[in-house]
Parts: sequence; structure tokens; C-alpha cells
Amino acid sequence: MKKWSKYLLAVLLVCAFLSPVTAQAATPYKTYTIDGYGYVTETQTAYTPYKTIEKIGKDAFVSPADMCISKDGLLYVADSGLARIIVADLEGNFIKYIGEGLLTQPTGVFVSDANLIYVADKGAKQVVVFNYEGEILETYGKPTSPIYGSELDFKPMKLVANESGTLYIICEGNTNGIVQLSPVDGGTFLGYFGTNFTNISFMDLVRRIVLSDAQRAKLLSNIPSTPTNLSIDEKGLIYTVTQGDYDLSLKKLNIAGNNLIIPDAYDEQCAAVATGNYKNIYVASSNGYVYEYNSEGELLFVFGGRDDGRLRVGLCSKVEAIAVDSNNRIFLLDSDKKQLNVYEPTEFTNLLHDSLELYSKGRYEESMEPLTQVLSMNTLFDYANKAMGRAYLQIEDYDNSLKYAKLSKDFDGYSDAFWEIRNLWLKNNLVTAFLIIVAIVVLIKVLKVLQKKKGIFNPVKQVWEKVSEKTLVKQLKYSTYFMKHPMDGCYGVRRENKSSWICSGILLVLFIILSIIYKYFCGFLFKTVREGSYNLVQDIGVVLLVFFALTVCNYLVVTIKDGEGSFKNLVSAYSYCLMPYIVLMPFVIIVSNLITYNEYFIVQFGTMCIYAWVVILLFLAIKEVNNYSVKETVAVIFLTAFTLLIAALIIFIVYMLCSQVIDFVSTVAREVVNRF
Amino acid sequence: MNKLKEHKKLLLILVPVLVILLIVVIVAVSIGGKGKALEPTVDLRTASRNMDTAVSAGKVDTAKELNGHFLVAENSGYELYLKKEVMSIIVRDKATGATMESTVTEDDGKSNASWSGFMKCGINLDVQVGNTTQQKKVDLLDSKAQIEVTPTDGGFTAKIDYPQYELGFSLTVLLYDDGSIEATIPESSIYEESDVNKIGNIYVFPMLGRTRLGEMDGYMIVPDGNGALINLNDKEGRFASPYSQRVFGNDVGISESYVLSLFWGKYETINESEYILAPVYGMVHSESEMAYLAVITSGAEGATIMAYPNGVFTDYNWISARFLKHTLYNEPTSNSGGSVVKVTDRFQYDISVRYFFTKNEDANYAGLANRYRDYLLKTGTLVQKADEFRLRADFLGTDRENWMFTTKAVEMTTTDDIRKIYDELKAEGVTDLLTLYKGWQDGGICNLPVSSYNADKSIGGTRDLTRLIKEAKDAGIQFYLYTDALRANPSTTNTTFNVIKKIDTRLFTENTYKEVYSSMHYLTPARTSELLPKLVDSMVKKDVDNLALTGITNTMFSYRYDGKSYDRIDTAQMQATVFEAIDPKVNLALEEPIETYWKYMDAMIDMPVKDSDYIFTDESIPFLSIVFKGIVPMYSDYVNFEANKHEFFLKLVETGIYPSFYITMQDSTELYYTNSNDLYSSQYSVYKNTMIEYYKALKEFNDHVAGATIKKHQIDGKIVTVVYSNGVTVTIDYSNNAFTASKNGSVVMSYKVGDAE
Repeated sequence: MKKWSKYLLAVLLVCAFLSPVTAQAATPYKTYTIDGYGYVTETQTAYTPYKTIEKIGKDAFVSPADMCISKDGLLYVADSGLARIIVADLEGNFIKYIGEGLLTQPTGVFVSDANLIYVADKGAKQVVVFNYEGEILETYGKPTSPIYGSELDFKPMKLVANESGTLYIICEGNTNGIVQLSPVDGGTFLGYFGTNFTNISFMDLVRRIVLSDAQRAKLLSNIPSTPTNLSIDEKGLIYTVTQGDYDLSLKKLNIAGNNLIIPDAYDEQCAAVATGNYKNIYVASSNGYVYEYNSEGELLFVFGGRDDGRLRVGLCSKVEAIAVDSNNRIFLLDSDKKQLNVYEPTEFTNLLHDSLELYSKGRYEESMEPLTQVLSMNTLFDYANKAMGRAYLQIEDYDNSLKYAKLSKDFDGYSDAFWEIRNLWLKNNLVTAFLIIVAIVVLIKVLKVLQKKKGIFNPVKQVWEKVSEKTLVKQLKYSTYFMKHPMDGCYGVRRENKSSWICSGILLVLFIILSIIYKYFCGFLFKTVREGSYNLVQDIGVVLLVFFALTVCNYLVVTIKDGEGSFKNLVSAYSYCLMPYIVLMPFVIIVSNLITYNEYFIVQFGTMCIYAWVVILLFLAIKEVNNYSVKETVAVIFLTAFTLLIAALIIFIVYMLCSQVIDFVSTVAREVVNRF
Repeated sequence: MNKLKEHKKLLLILVPVLVILLIVVIVAVSIGGKGKALEPTVDLRTASRNMDTAVSAGKVDTAKELNGHFLVAENSGYELYLKKEVMSIIVRDKATGATMESTVTEDDGKSNASWSGFMKCGINLDVQVGNTTQQKKVDLLDSKAQIEVTPTDGGFTAKIDYPQYELGFSLTVLLYDDGSIEATIPESSIYEESDVNKIGNIYVFPMLGRTRLGEMDGYMIVPDGNGALINLNDKEGRFASPYSQRVFGNDVGISESYVLSLFWGKYETINESEYILAPVYGMVHSESEMAYLAVITSGAEGATIMAYPNGVFTDYNWISARFLKHTLYNEPTSNSGGSVVKVTDRFQYDISVRYFFTKNEDANYAGLANRYRDYLLKTGTLVQKADEFRLRADFLGTDRENWMFTTKAVEMTTTDDIRKIYDELKAEGVTDLLTLYKGWQDGGICNLPVSSYNADKSIGGTRDLTRLIKEAKDAGIQFYLYTDALRANPSTTNTTFNVIKKIDTRLFTENTYKEVYSSMHYLTPARTSELLPKLVDSMVKKDVDNLALTGITNTMFSYRYDGKSYDRIDTAQMQATVFEAIDPKVNLALEEPIETYWKYMDAMIDMPVKDSDYIFTDESIPFLSIVFKGIVPMYSDYVNFEANKHEFFLKLVETGIYPSFYITMQDSTELYYTNSNDLYSSQYSVYKNTMIEYYKALKEFNDHVAGATIKKHQIDGKIVTVVYSNGVTVTIDYSNNAFTASKNGSVVMSYKVGDAE
């Protein structure tokens, strides 16, 4: 489910923007959230600008590079231009300097719970550990271990340390991963951690096979990207962000270096990551967007934006670091504007955080109260709907759970709730259902007997027989025969005139209707289109276009390959080939509305059978109608595909030429209008 | 036989001719009605010499000198001095001796040549040379301009020629007896003889009242949103660019190209800043207790207000308006991107700015707002209406969602629902209501334009709506039908004719970023002037006489139609003409109207409670609220979408704005697949209690200040004090989420937000 929501993310078409209908929000930026389909929708302002800090004490920032908020609520800013760490309270009042005169170019700072201050000094190529008084406790230079790589330089950029003092260091230009350093023996190199991998595309593979070594060397080297920034939570889980790594841009790594989450939205320019007070994750992009996720990597909010000369409070130019304090205020460090932007959560966000906390602790029932309030402020807030659905599931209110799961496109939740509802229904109605079935069987038996003895259905039968004698009905009935006996069926089509244009038309229309019903009215779990979106003209057009393009191309090929079928024969035979779909699809559609993920395979299997059947019928139809051998049939199929390609190409070229001509004429016309 | 054949022949000829004729007639009718558009009756191009107060006359001692300037006019309160060579003026308060200067004489050597020239002159130009993208800064000294000053009663007229650029104009400055100064550049005096050099922008006394760094306490008043202040303290070089906003919003007809960074490459995530609704700006010297409010009395449509805090190019704080006369646009020459840069024709309008000076306890924003209100009332730009407290409960009738080949109605609030809601609210004591009914028209809220009173069947139909409106009227509820008179929906209406093209002849399309209807066009003002009176007439016929309008209330654009170019003033004049025509027939609730249309409104909708949060603004002030309170009822943005509801409540108390709710009977999730899907929270059952709570508290408060105007307003950190003309003092404590109102020293009301929950 996540996968395809991501896919949709890539083809986002619609989002909630301010329209003439509603009023303007108060902040300079909008706040968005994302729904189960990956569509972006606007929501209540999550964070409002609280203040901007341009100076701490007397010094304006020169080139602020990193920041950390310690457990006791102090702000540590590493300014690589000032070559020191500035310590301040959270309102920006100066407290003291650390490392003045001792540091060269600090680019990363981390403060542990024990108030040890770890500084990544990129200029001095070392990591320095200070105590709160500012005395150097330890320095770590380049690891001597051969595994580190003797050729590699040691330029620490960002770092964190866990409870036991193990350091995780991102080094500039080191693509092997995060350097893991134990404090034992003046810094023992433990290995690389959370290494990123490269993606090899199909084209890359082709290139590797085709190109010579020299040519390959000219291509862009395919090396994994270095993480941009990292963070650590209370449990010692490491969070990394990597620019341009798609859905691996944000990773939550356990102690073994395995990634635990795949975020449902990501930023190409992610610059920093931090964890909040509710196991939530904050990612800042260098363009000034802040993403807040829950612990599962599901997006709650995204807000903020780039300044672009608008000069509005709360917009950023180039974000370097993000931190969150105990009041859930977000701090963004902007190296371009040389300032700290502070945002505070709104009442809405506080409510959501309350529910997050309760929910994550498994107190579902309690979490429903703040969730209800959140939903009353925004009924379309997807995360709240989802959590609500899950909470209802926990307290065994399945109807409500189903409602919220459907609303939030929570397919797993929907499946679970539906399973329970169905289960209950079966439990309650099994006997009744069984009785009804028995009754029906008995009724049929009785009617049959009555028919035999008294012929009560004779009038109906007579009408039916009359109707059956009509040619069209015969032809339609023949389609079911065709389905089971394609070879015989083809003969009938070709020689015995057992088909007509009208009959083919009816079958095609049925096919179209069923395909549309399947697309829009199949079970919720199987639906591939967004609720409420209809594109019928396109659906019908595609079927007709494909059908006729294939048939025409096929006919063209067949005529030069000594095929015996006429165009009518081909159209009829091919439309008959759609019969398995027409006959079986209604069952699949009904079943798809009755099953959960547990029985997902039934529908998959059903549709697979239908398609296989249709393909086999098509193959046989081509072969039999034209009286081909198997080899000839295969050849004709390939030729048809080729013809189709050429036809598409020609249409494209003609289209291009026409548009060029139109453009030329309009340009001349505009030029003339312009001159005179 | 032959005859029959002939007849047949005749028929053969006649029938096609008749058919063609019929088609022509139908087409003519459908395009039609061009002749029916109103003729503009409002003139906004010429400065109306409002001789509401006499100019100062009498003998003036022209030898009296001040800082190189010589006295040219004086009255009982002020003296006006002029330094001819650089057209610099000084205004001196006779009682206190405080002055405001319009230029900088000393040269600190910090600024570059063009800026130091700019600072030394009272009149400055940006000259458009050919079609170069950067306009050239031209001052009087550097360009060796020739100035000829003729003293007049109460002031002077200066003829200024720029022989280098072959252009010029004349400027008249007058000192009025009410202590105000008016500077005017009539359009008729402007000449441009060169084909190359055109006037781009004109600055009139841009630095009047300038201060250097933090030398003087005070602030500049920016008309952003409700109002904002920029303190005159030392900014320590924090800002690199000025505040600069077009009065009445940007011109969509001439798109200025600037690079935007979009979220995920697609979405514009920034909320546009609030429009400048009032063409004013101000400078307050708190220390010397001298202040002025500059009101652009003519040419506001072409003006841009600019506020420069110190550190932006110069060390001075100054605020001014810039008047646009020529600008550039790209005219495309092909569909694939080729274009030529062209210069527009000159925007034809008189420039006129009136500076109202105040002193002593009035030398602050509240004093200036009071002064502005007096001026507006005197000139009829604002008219006293019944300002009584009402809670605004807007309803959304219906919108459409896609369904199969077409769309289907999503009914949110029917007429019966509204009846039920009114009854329930009445039972709770909520009786004073104002309602805008949105999406009432046939085809739902997006079926625009609306040209007749014809309600959608799904909400109950026209007859039932008429009945509801009558019932509401009897119950004392103001029930307005809401429509957008500017936009036309190309999916529901034929928009081939009657919509605007941009100046570059491209069709103007507004993207809604929504699924059902993805774009909108703007109707030409002429078309609006046909359709809107039609709608009003069909409403009045059924005794429906309340109309709420948006779109044309604050959108000013240049456009091309039928081969002719029109500028923003054409648009404003035409729209004002429409208002003029419908105002006597219906009550009008206008959504954030610009100053030009204030006199037509019976209620102001979506009044901003604060500013747009610019980095340089130090304080948000309720400037417009002070102007309107007690004169016209103001209704806020929707409470629904406020994330900080407590703070918003207090803001309503502070600004005297009445609360607004956007209500639907159905759950707003129903709207998910419609164009209204940004209405994410609106269900009546959710908001009922909040509405009652807001109503009770704000009703009680507003009863204490009913009909009174705001006299004083003071911000002291988190504590705000507002003094009303009836003696009620309100103290709002934002840190405590509480407020108290007292009269003659005794508390009449005390309230803590959230207690009622």
C-alpha cells in the first residue's frame, strides 16, 4: 500500500490550494499534510513563527553550521566562521563560549545527556570532546585502523554520540558510511555504519555491458551518497538524511544499521533531522520546508518555504540544522540569512501531539479524545482518521473503524476491520444463510418437478424459444460456445456466418462496461484509482483505440500474409475472445467486494485466469480464422506489433508537422500584428 | 410543374439564407449585449480638488529661512518651507517647533551616487530608457533639471523640466487650514517628447520625515493587512531589501516575472501577503510628537508603497509612495516562447498625496487613524452605516464533484438545514446573525458568473430560498446571497467572449489547483456591469435585497479586450460604476474592498485581524479597525481555520471585529472530491458550541462599546489597551488569555478565554 501511495506521490496532480472560496491563513506559509493516495492537502497551521534570533550576545552569526539543544534546555550553536561554540538559553540570551581559540572550523556539535560537548572540527580534522566548563577531555583524529582506508581523509562534519559514548560521525567525502568510533583507547574505529547504496538502473546495466572501459570511465561515477546529517533518539536509534536518495532520504537505523522506516514523502534537499518528544521525526530541507513525521515515517505536516525575496517572517534561505526543545518549539538554523528561526506549535498541533503520545503508548481509548478534537478542527486530517480507525479497531468498534480506515485510505486497517465485520456477520447469519440456500435448492427441485408434471413454465419456455430463434441471440449464444471451443468457433465465424457487426459491438460494449465497473466499483482494497475521480471518456477511448488499432494492424498484416479471414471475421473472432472476461468478471467484482487481504490471492488468481484465457483464445483465433500454422501465427503477431509501432510513429510525425505548421502560421501572424 | 420547380428552387435558396440568418442572430445574441454594458460614470483619473478646507492665504514672510529652505506658506498651526533647487520642503509645527524634512542635506559618503542624489532631492524619477529592464534613477541635481517656482495662495506651483530626457511636469503643493499638505502632479502637465525616454516612476517627497538610524523614537505605518509598524530604531543592517507592495494588490494583467521556488517543483506554499486596501502610509516621530499620515487621494491604482528601514541602501528610515507611469511587458511572438519587450502606454492619472499632520497626544497611529476616518467621512469615501454586533455564520449550499461523464451536486447545507440551525441557535439565545449563503446558485458555488436569482434544486430551489430569506428577515437575521462577480468558470459557461486577456494579448487564466474545475477566467468589467445589475434586478423582484460580493471588490487589473488596452483605473472606474448602479437597490457586504468601494459597503467581510508578518514589521496594529469601528461592521476571517483559537478570540476583542464561521450541515469530508476541499472543518455539530460561546462573550463585550469609535490604542508587550469614545477602556492580556472592560474606573466585564469550554 505504501508503495503505491509513493507512486502516486510522483504523479501528484491535485492539491489543496487557497481558492477564491476560503479565507487566508495567518502565517506566511501554508501547512500541508498528505493522504493515503499521496495527494497533498492543506491543513490548519501547525507551527507559527515565534521569534527570530540574529545575534547571541554581541556577536552576529558569521557562518553558523550546526546546533544542538541539550537536555537541560541550552542552545549550542557551532559557528565555523567564529571558530567556536556559542552557548545560549532558548530565548537567545548569551551564556558563554566553548572552544574559543581551541577550534579551527567547527561544523558539527552534539551535547550528550551527561553534558559532554562533542564538536566536529572539520578544519582541524578531529573530533573534540569538552566538558561543560569548556575543558578538552579528549580529541579523536583519523582512525588508524586499516579498515577505515588509509587513503581516506578524516574531515568530520556532523556527529552524535550514544549513551556509552560511541560516536557516529559523518565525514566529508567519505562515501563508505557513518564512521563509528568507540571512546575506548583514544578512539577505536568500530566500522562503517548505515552505508547508503547506489541504485543501478536498467540503462546502467546496458551501458556496463556495451561500453568499453574507457567509455565507462567517462560516465558519472556511481558512488553512494554521503548522508547529509544525522540525529539520535533516547533509545539510541540513529536517524540519517541523505540528499537525493528518494524514499531512503530519511532512514531510522537500529543498532545493527538496518533501516526501519520508509517515509511516505521526502524532500530532495533534506538538510537536517531531529527527533521530537513523541517519537516524532522532524526533517528540514535546505529550502526551509519542515517535515514532521510520526515514528513510522508517516507524514503529519509539512510547512515553511523559501524566502525568495518575500521578506516574510518564518521563511528561510538555507537551512543547516534543526532542533526541537522540550516545549516542541522548532529551531531552524539558516546559514544564508545568518539567523535562527524559532517556531511554536499551535493548539491544533498540541492536540495532535497529545494523541500521538497516547496512541504510541497503546492507550487507544484515551487517544480518541484528542483525536476527536483534532478531527473536529480538520475532518480531512488523514493521520488522525487513520489513528482513529486503528483505535476503534482496538476497542472492537469495527463499523467506525471501517469508516475511518476508508476515509484515511488505511488499507491494512480497512482489511482488518472488514475481516472482523465479515466474521461477525457470518457468525450471526450462518444458520440463516444456510437455511436460505437449502430453501432455494428445495424450491428449484420442486419447480423442476412441477415443470415436469404440469409444465407450469411452458409459456416462458415458448417465449424463450422464440427469442432464441432470432439470429442476434443465436450469435450471442454462440459466443459462449466459442469460449469453450475456439477452433470450432472460429470455423463457425468464418464459414457459417455465426457472427455479425451488431453482435461484436454488443460484446465490446459489455467488455467496456465491465472494465469500467471493475475499475471504479471493485472492492476498496483493489481499487487503483482515487475515490471520486472518474475518467470515463479516456477509459472507453483507450479500449476502443487499442482494440481497433490492433485489429486494423492485424488485418493489414494478415492480408499480405495470405490469411483467409476478412476484416469482419477478425473483428468478430476477437470480440468473441473477450468472452471469458465478460462472463467471469462479474464474479471477480462481487468477490473483490467481499474479501480482505487474507484472501487477496483469490481475486488475483481469478483475474490472471481470465487474462490467460483471453490470450489463448486470441492466439487460437488468429491461427484458425486465417488458417495459419503455429509458426505463421507467431510471425503475424510480431509483425502486427511492428506495424502498430510504425503506425504510431507516423501519426506522431504527422502530428508534429501539423503543430509546427500551425505554430509557424501563428508566429507570422503575431509578428505581423506586432509590426503594424 | 414548372412553377413547382421554381418554387423548389426558391426554397432551396431561401432555406439556407434563413438558416444562416438565424445562426447569425443566435450568435449575435449569445455574444451579445455589448451595448447593454453600463457607461462609466465614475472618474478616478483626476484629482478631485476637495476644497473641504480652505488653503492658507495671506502674507507670508518669504525671507524666513530654515536649514536652507525659505518660507512659502503658513497657517495657525504649521509653516511650509521650500528649497527650490532640490524641491525640498520642511514642515514645521509652530507650537512645538518640531519639523519634518523631505531631503538629506549632509552627505555621509556611505551611499552610492544614485542613492545620495535621491536623498538630496524632493522629487525623483525612474526613467524608462528604451526597453531596458532596469529603470534609471534620475534626480534633479544630476540631471540638471530646470525648476520654475510660482508662489500661489497657500503654497506654490513648480514647473520641472528635464531637458536631458525631454520630459517634464508641474507640481503643486498647498498647505490647508486643517494642517494638511497636498502635493499634486496633474496628468495634463506631464509631457514626454522623446521616443526613447519615458517616465517610469515618480516619487513625491519620498523622504518626508526621514530619520537617521535610531536618532529619534517613532515608527513608520505600513498599511499591510490591518496595519503594521516599523520602529525607527537602529536595525544594525539586518535588512537588505525594503517593504514594497503595490496598492490594491498586484496587477495580474501585467505579470512581473520573478523566480519562485515551488514545493516539490509544483506547489506555491506561500500565503500571499494581504492586499493594501487603504492607500495610506505614515511617519510618527514620537519624541517630537509630530506625525503625518499620507493619503493618496489620486493615482492609488498606480502607486506602490515602499518603506525603507535603515540599513537598506542608506542609513535613513523613510516611507513613501511611488507612482507608475510606464512599465515593460513581454509580447509573445510565437507559441514556443519567442517574445519582444514592449513599453506600455502611459498610465493616465493625476498624482495627488495629502499629508495629514497631527501633534501631541494625537501623534500616534490611533490619532492618525482617527484623522483618516474624519477625512473619509467628510469626503464621502466612507459612509456611516449601522454598526451593530452580529455573529457571521456563512453556509455552503452545494458544490459539485465528478461523477461518470458529468458532475453531481454535493449538498452541504440546504434551506431546511439553515432553518434548523437558526432555530437551534435561537433557542440558545443566539439571535443577532449575519449569513452569507455561498454556493446557493444553480450549479453550485463554482458555477460562475451568476446572472439571475436561480437557486440550485439540491438546496431546495428558488422558491424555498426566497421563503427562507423572508423568514430570516422577519427574525432579524441579515441573510446575504454570496457570489463572485469577477470570475467565470470555463467548464460551466461559455467564456470565449467577455473574459479578459493580459496586456500581452494572452488569455488570462487563474489556476485553482483543484480537480473538478481546474481554472477560472476573469470577466471584463463591461461584462460584469451587464450581469451584476441583471442579477440584482432579478433578486429585487423577489424582495431579496442583500448581496455579498467578492472578486471585483479588490482585484484591479490591466487588460486587453477587443484589441483595446485598458488599465487598472479603467477597471476601477467600471467596477465603481457597477457599485454605483446596484448600491441603491441592495445592501452590499463586500469582501476586503479597496478604499474606492468603501462607501458602498454595508458590511466588511474577511477583515484581516493582523498583518502579513514581514520581517521588518515590529508590531501589528489595528489601524483599519480604528478607522471602521463604529462606522461599518467588520467581520473576521473564518474562526474554523484558525489554529490558535484563543489568541484569535482576543484579537477580535482588540480589533472590534465580529467573528465569522463557515458552516455546513454535512460533514466536510463530503467535500473531499470537490473544488471546496480546502474547507476541511465546518460541520455545524462541531462548531455549534464554539459559536454560542463566541456569541455570548463577544456580544456582551460589543454591547458595552456599541456605536463607539476607538480613540486610543496602546500596545505594551503582551498587554493591549483600547479606549473607546464612550469612555470604555478594554485591557487585553495575551499572556493570560483574558480581557477586562472598564468604564469610569469600574470593571464592567471580565473574561478569561477557555473557561466556558
